[in-house]
Amino acid sequence: MAYTTFNRNINDQLKEPMFFGNAVNVSRYDQQKYPIFEKLIEKQLSFFWRPEEIDVSKDRIDFQQLPEHEKHIFISNLKYQTLLDSVQGRSPNVALLPIVSIPELETWIETWAFSETIHSRSYTHIIRNISAEPHKIFDDIMLNERILERAVDVTRYYDDLIDGINLYQRCGEGTHQINGKTEQITLRELKKRLYLCLMSVNVLEAIRFYVSFACSFAFAERELMEGNAKIIRLIARDEALHLTGTQHMLNILASGDDDPEMAEIAKECEEESYAIFMRAAEQEKDWAAYLFKDGSMIGLNKDILCQYVEFITNSRMQAVGLKPRFATTQNPIPWINTWLVSDNVQVAPQESEISSYLVGQIDNEVDTADFGDFDL
Amino acid sequence: MPQVRINGEVVVNFDGSSPNLLQFLEQQQQAVNYQCREGFCGACRCKLLSGQISYLQEPLAFVRRGEFLPCCSIPQTDIELEIPK
Ligand code: FES
Ligand SMILES: [Fe+2]
Ligand SMILES: [Fe+2]
Repeated sequence: MAYTTFNRNINDQLKEPMFFGNAVNVSRYDQQKYPIFEKLIEKQLSFFWRPEEIDVSKDRIDFQQLPEHEKHIFISNLKYQTLLDSVQGRSPNVALLPIVSIPELETWIETWAFSETIHSRSYTHIIRNISAEPHKIFDDIMLNERILERAVDVTRYYDDLIDGINLYQRCGEGTHQINGKTEQITLRELKKRLYLCLMSVNVLEAIRFYVSFACSFAFAERELMEGNAKIIRLIARDEALHLTGTQHMLNILASGDDDPEMAEIAKECEEESYAIFMRAAEQEKDWAAYLFKDGSMIGLNKDILCQYVEFITNSRMQAVGLKPRFATTQNPIPWINTWLVSDNVQVAPQESEISSYLVGQIDNEVDTADFGDFDL
Repeated sequence: MPQVRINGEVVVNFDGSSPNLLQFLEQQQQAVNYQCREGFCGACRCKLLSGQISYLQEPLAFVRRGEFLPCCSIPQTDIELEIPK
């Protein structure tokens, strides 16, 4: 019951459930209960990128010329994304690694969380470039009420799960006296917290990023902040994969094939799952209103963004077997999809502004006219 | 040449001028949701009401029974599909 980093039980890993079985001992992939997770790992590794490779130097000039209300939109979104990736860079590890029971899923969780740390580092790369005082932007994240409001819902299900796991792994099922307080935990309750946590993560990665993505791409449609847009495309590609990973976990759990009790729990949690989706959608609409409080930007306004939130919420709900709850059926900003296409991200290095290639590019751009005065 | 029936109405021949069913549907002016166009995001999910498709690459996105991903598949037989609304 207590967590051990190398479980000595000789077990058949193929018979373990995804969570709450034996802790993983040998990290082996010669046999897999759910090969999909190794495929996700391979895909994620093939996506590897480094923020420093993206040249964001032109963004500095663009940013200085943005009107104040557009600066507010740009910076606020970066702050919000910074919060989201701070949470995502650690929480899957802290919450899920102590309870995972199959090696390919354990490694997917670690690979997933690692890619979030790249996202976090990319925000520093962007912010350092556009601001001489990056600390002011980062310091405000912990003070900005609009962001903190969201942090509560983003982290709550993780924290409930982690708290329950700590109690369970220390004391086991039952009622316990901890520091003069009576605490109760059952394995069933933990499974429920896990299911809701995954649903909430799914919503985080499925909906919460997209208002911000849309704004980044709307700037880039005007050929502004294009370095930023390049980074956001790479992040969006990663996020689509993370989302797929979580959808697989949720759907496997809900099927009951992995753990029959989980199918019951998924049913029990249906109303709360709807509520998690709807609450996130409402919060993102509020966020859109906050972004545009001093004015819209070309190509986007609050109403269009709210419709987009409804549209993706519907489609994300269907992906995990829930019914769409909004009347919107059309994507109000279909142009965003062209920014989300995966193969466009993998442009030939010389066509993109990846700085490690840019060195060579600058050399090539030396015109023969530049040698006009040379006598060879 | 397999025939594709779309939303119970239009029937079009899949004549091989499109590399996959997503592009094919777009050529028929059908609005299909998409993101990755590579089978890993699941945004393009459609219902397969009858017939068989084959995948050009193995999809990573979760696909329910009766659904398929047009971005990375082509029809094997005549098919009937439904684009979700
Ligand atoms: S567009 Fe992503 S799976 Fe088809
Ligand atoms: Fe991320
Ligand atoms: Fe993510």
